Amino acid sequence: MQFSTIFVVLIATPLAVCSRLLVSLPSTAAFPNWNPSALTASTTASLTTISSTYTAPLRSDNTFDFRDVSPGSYLLDVHCSSHVFAPLRVDVSEAGQIESWGTFRGNEWDNKGEVVTVKNLGDLQNLDVKVLGEKSFYVERSGFSPLSLLKNPMILIAGFSMILVFGMPYLMDNMDPEMREEFEARQKTSPLTGGQAAANPLQNFDAAAWLAGSGPKKSELTEKSNVK
Amino acid sequence: MRPPKSLLCLALSILPTAVLAVFADEAGVVDYHYELLGLPKPDTTFFYRPRKEDKASLLYTLSDLGVVGAVNPGTGVPVWRQVLSSGSDSLSNGLLRGVDGDGVVVSALGKTVSAWDAISGRLKWQSKFSGQVRDLEVMESAIVSAEAKDVLALYEDGNKGILRRLTGNGGDLKWEFTDEASGVPFQISTSPKDVFVISLHAAGAGYNLKVTTLDPVTGKKVDEYTLSSKSDIFDIEDILLVGASSAAPILAWTDQAKQEVKVNILGKKAVQNLALREADGKLTKVTLHAPHLPQSQPHFLVFSQSASANRADVYHVDLKSNAITKAYELPKVGGTGTISTSSQDGNVFFTRMTQDEAILVSSASHGVLGRWPLKIDESHGSLLHAASEVVTRSTNLFAVRSAVATSNEDWVMIRNGAESWTRVEGLSGAIVADWAELPGEEQLAATLKAEAQTNPLASYLHRWQRHIQELEYLPAYLTELPKRVMSSIIPVESVTSDELVRDNFGFHKMVIVATQRGRLYGLNAGNRGKVVWSAKAYDIPDDSKWDVKGIWVDNVKGLVNVRGASGEYVLVKALTGQIIEKTSPGSWPPVTSSVVIDSASGKWFLPIGVDGNPGDIPSAWAPKDVLVVQGSNGEVRGLKYMEDGANSVPTAAWTFQPTGEKIINVVAKPAHDPVASIGRVLGDRTVLYKYLNPNTILVTAISETGSSLSMYLLDSVSGDILYSTSHSGVDTKQPITSILTENWFAYSMFGDSAPGTAEDALPLSKGYQLVVTELFESELANDRGPLGSLSNTSSLEPLDIPNAEPAIPHAVSQTFLIPEAISHMSVSETKQGITTRQLLCTLPTTNSIIGILYHIINPRRPVGRDPTPAEMEEGLFRYTPFIDFDPKMILTHKLNVIGIKGVITSPALLESTSLVFAYGIDIFGTRVVPSMAFDILGKGFNRLNLVATVLALQVGVMVLAPMVRRKQINGRWMTS
Repeated sequence: MQFSTIFVVLIATPLAVCSRLLVSLPSTAAFPNWNPSALTASTTASLTTISSTYTAPLRSDNTFDFRDVSPGSYLLDVHCSSHVFAPLRVDVSEAGQIESWGTFRGNEWDNKGEVVTVKNLGDLQNLDVKVLGEKSFYVERSGFSPLSLLKNPMILIAGFSMILVFGMPYLMDNMDPEMREEFEARQKTSPLTGGQAAANPLQNFDAAAWLAGSGPKKSELTEKSNVK
Repeated sequence: MRPPKSLLCLALSILPTAVLAVFADEAGVVDYHYELLGLPKPDTTFFYRPRKEDKASLLYTLSDLGVVGAVNPGTGVPVWRQVLSSGSDSLSNGLLRGVDGDGVVVSALGKTVSAWDAISGRLKWQSKFSGQVRDLEVMESAIVSAEAKDVLALYEDGNKGILRRLTGNGGDLKWEFTDEASGVPFQISTSPKDVFVISLHAAGAGYNLKVTTLDPVTGKKVDEYTLSSKSDIFDIEDILLVGASSAAPILAWTDQAKQEVKVNILGKKAVQNLALREADGKLTKVTLHAPHLPQSQPHFLVFSQSASANRADVYHVDLKSNAITKAYELPKVGGTGTISTSSQDGNVFFTRMTQDEAILVSSASHGVLGRWPLKIDESHGSLLHAASEVVTRSTNLFAVRSAVATSNEDWVMIRNGAESWTRVEGLSGAIVADWAELPGEEQLAATLKAEAQTNPLASYLHRWQRHIQELEYLPAYLTELPKRVMSSIIPVESVTSDELVRDNFGFHKMVIVATQRGRLYGLNAGNRGKVVWSAKAYDIPDDSKWDVKGIWVDNVKGLVNVRGASGEYVLVKALTGQIIEKTSPGSWPPVTSSVVIDSASGKWFLPIGVDGNPGDIPSAWAPKDVLVVQGSNGEVRGLKYMEDGANSVPTAAWTFQPTGEKIINVVAKPAHDPVASIGRVLGDRTVLYKYLNPNTILVTAISETGSSLSMYLLDSVSGDILYSTSHSGVDTKQPITSILTENWFAYSMFGDSAPGTAEDALPLSKGYQLVVTELFESELANDRGPLGSLSNTSSLEPLDIPNAEPAIPHAVSQTFLIPEAISHMSVSETKQGITTRQLLCTLPTTNSIIGILYHIINPRRPVGRDPTPAEMEEGLFRYTPFIDFDPKMILTHKLNVIGIKGVITSPALLESTSLVFAYGIDIFGTRVVPSMAFDILGKGFNRLNLVATVLALQVGVMVLAPMVRRKQINGRWMTS
């Protein structure tokens, strides 16, 4: 296994300047119901890189305090049971200067996002993390409601045809006799209902025979219609 | 007929959330959670008011597992918990102090001193220094100020004691004092004027005590004196107390014979001897109880215990003359007991609890202020130590509540003599666990079988007899009937009973847990993890842990086998906890691991000795299969038992040791790993055959020098490498976990872009990775690879050709980036293996357990392109490198399940369901349905609605029937 010289140097120089990083939760309303003081005490943040990990619990002033961070390029994560936070890339230079960017999981490490401003407060440097949203653990069971039944298109179609079936005769009765005659005449000629004699082929469909594979002969069909 | 593809895709895209999520109405009903702290230690458990102005107090403790927590004394529910990590130092050395009036508790463990907000449990500040903290004290000042009180921490660094004063608002160093003389720094004590450092200096076999007086403002040494105690003190345990009320802090110890207590008032060089009186025999334990608040009266109590009785003496210190006088004594009472101190303003109260009663006395006079008969459950055992709080209701009416740790490792709150709540703290610190089946209705099956085997007439008569006998259950059945009918209409909670019988769904099982304190617990998983029994297997000293090397429940005999590292084993009845057989540590050779093997004489639990040597076994008990063991150098060995006379001797069939690498883990398939389908049916109705070799093991090896990880899949019969892969840039200090099941395996690690990798290598990402590899017999569909249609294969000589290569599986592998570390992996188990498997991962950073469905981590997800319709039909969707852990996948939902060491699963009788049990500091259990609950009606099924619909239809029919009938008659008869 090969090791870069930079890495070896990094380990071999304990005298390198160690930095103190203070990570703050946003205090302003990132979205409704955001209250950093209401986060559980089990919330932690971690700075991770190969062979070194720093973990800091959430403090009562809504910050995470990382002391003695040695130079390197770190992944900053905030682990919380109720909210999701954006991961950040935090680079600590040999001189102890801290830089930070947004990072995208699943992308190469050099693919840096937006620069996060790091405030220099004397012996410590401060940056803010971004809260992305609230975690929701549960799904509600979709219960039965009559209203949802009405939203069903099948039910809607059935309802419409019901209105047509029951409402139409009533409408027809109330119609002017002349108009009714005209209407009936038009209905007879209309292609949709017209030619009732040429009956719907499905009307006399013999399902059993069809399934049995012995399709009804044409003559039979005509015979049947004659009988009728 | 095929369902429309678009519909299927829609269903699959909805599937993950619908399947995995915890239903809001099932959270806390199906699952159960023991929020544990660990056993409270006597000196780090106290009542404390988090708000100065508020009378309400919380119960604070730092347990033997290094968990700091605040417990609501009214309900026994933890308000907050924090796990302290200790590094190298023993967890039992933790310290916890409440800063009076500041609303802060300060803990110290290892090299870290932390101040926690007493209400929220958030960190106030944290400081780390070199060395190990030996004592911690709050710097009480005579002047009342708004400033936070400073904290004194005594460190042992090398052979030197270093006292550091840390500021109360930031934990910054104010001054430090180094004791140049070599000695064991022991404790700190403060008075308004001085700070005392007590250290032990070896003198012959014993120790002398050195008291160094420091100026609290500057940290400069003011005075120093040595007390000659070398004939009395041979161990730190011999010192009774340092400190007490800071008005007159004392240092007390006993002589070896426990005949007198020697007390030194700190700052004064004189030692006063207080005689001890025997209590029905030689004293076994002497403890000293004193208040810790500076304003308390300088009174203390010496509690003397013998094997059969206990008594106490109360002493007063005269602040002017420094004389110690005996005020009164509490009479001798048989049995064991506890004393606890509580102070209220200047008054000091002692609560004495014996087996029968609790009494409250003031330190000033011997008058009993309150007396309550003690009514606590006998299963708690005897009382060990207590922390008490006294409330003055009126001048002569007192109430007292005490949190008592008992010998059966329960933590019981006793309010005025009555038990208020109990926390089963002994259950914390579980190291191994296993499932135990409950006895079912097998008698009936046995009877029926017996009947079938006798002659027809006899069996007919027997059957009549049986039926007549069964009539006695008829009244009970009839009374139950309305309830049963109702329960089938109105949904009721799934039956949770204390009865240990199997249920129809197979949800009722026992879990046997062994803890590091040498105790075994039997939990009823069917009744939300209720403790059925507990039994002490071994007495483990406070500073060590029981090193258990395996647990196995023999369901045929109903016995639990637990094997310890020192060769000890214990056999316990799974249902009752009755210890059948027990050997003491050291009576058998040491054990490094243990394994369940299948021999000609049945299954049994085989201990593996040092260097992976299981030793000779009688031939009838020798394992049928190859045994895989790990040697002392980490090498993996396959052992085959060869018959040699009456015994069988293990011989190494193969050895596997990758050069330059250290094997850190070996996993085999779960014991119960059924596979329902031998192939994966693709969208075009062809089949990829799964590589289902039962004799495979997955070996995890890390390079000894660099940062690389290698995974090897071995054939455990031949030792051949079936598949291997290597990752560079892996953090080998972070958890690397793996699992092998069915025809796939998964592992996770922290990967980084390793500098020094080849130029043309892909640019790597930094983060936790989950790698999933699926194995097939051939890369071609409808092809069974080199094995073809053979019905039998041999790992040693495949294909009937001598020296042929083994049949190498075709591996499809994919890496996913995940947001968190995984510390443990497990897989759901179902009865037939029809249900897809769910990967259960423990996430230590968010204290949760996640269930990942296989189709999300399917390595055959198409990369860089959208899935073809055939792939879509199969349920594959486009590969994305990052899998976000959807909160809906979290099995523990909002619960904070800390310190999980392992997760075990067991199939229920229902194919859809797998039982899950997690143990560690906390205990958590639930049921998972990876392919949805397809064989049981869930809560979503509304029986009432069904009945209502049927009734509505009935009414409709009744209304419409006459109408239709009339219309039909009219149609026949009416012409117009």
